[in-house]
Amino acid sequence: MRWATRAGIHIDRAACAWLIRRFIDPQARFVFVTDPGDVPSDAVAFDMRGVDLSHYTGPDGAADCTFETILRRHDLSDPVLWRIAAIVHEADLDDERYDAPEAPGLDVVLRGLSMLCGDERILELTGPIFDGLYEYHRRALLLGREPA
Amino acid sequence: MVSEAGVGRWVMLCYRIPREPSTPRIAVWRKLKRLGVAQLADGLVTLPADARTREQLEWIADEISDAGGEASIWLAQPATARQERDLARRMAAARAAEYAAVSAEAGAAASAEVREARRTGERLRAELRRIGRRDYFPPPERDTALAAVRSLLDSTGAGDVQQVSS
Repeated sequence: MRWATRAGIHIDRAACAWLIRRFIDPQARFVFVTDPGDVPSDAVAFDMRGVDLSHYTGPDGAADCTFETILRRHDLSDPVLWRIAAIVHEADLDDERYDAPEAPGLDVVLRGLSMLCGDERILELTGPIFDGLYEYHRRALLLGREPA
Repeated sequence: MVSEAGVGRWVMLCYRIPREPSTPRIAVWRKLKRLGVAQLADGLVTLPADARTREQLEWIADEISDAGGEASIWLAQPATARQERDLARRMAAARAAEYAAVSAEAGAAASAEVREARRTGERLRAELRRIGRRDYFPPPERDTALAAVRSLLDSTGAGDVQQVSS
């Protein structure tokens, strides 16, 4: 399936692309557009204004980032993914809803990468980073403490 | 991005949001404050344009539409460098007041008992990071505040204060 998002990706879109490829659509191909009008008709758009898989603000004014919205829409309840969602949320929205000390570091890494490489390359580079985050937090959850 | 006239690009959010219910209106206002926007008029706020500030204002624009309001995003250039300087000065002054409040609190906490001083120092360090994220034109008060919190934490034997970047 084809998936479309805004060009110039940062933490939320990079994390969503990883999530989609690992847990939803292993054959996913990504298209990056600058104008929402350029989304191909056969593509599922995410993290763009006015589409379903995007930021969502609840009645209390608390916002979800797109990574959280995708987890909800696809009924992904894996607690490790929700731990990563907290990190992505804080790196993206920085509203202190979650305690995620990894977030500022990850935010800086992604901002730096976006100065050096294009969107395709960022996906290649960040895939293993999110794999690592997942494995670390999977072990942490199993052990009930920080893994070695 | 600087143009020939020596002025940069700004992203503007023009909006109107119903007075009631007040929850979404207040949530929007808090988010704008957190971003450090300069208010140009009632329902018109602006920030220096970059990928992040534009995106943040776009999400808020969506939120306003969802709450039954109207919002549009504009990219603009001040017509004169002077107008931009005035705007930058205003924004720097707003941050300067926040930094000064941190310095004052750090100074007051210096005479507190060590554990209390450290707790205050850690809280102020987080506060400095928050202010830094909305500080687009760092005023001299920033360095004073960083130094005050660093010296407070040093006096309690805690770690170094990170440099906050804008």
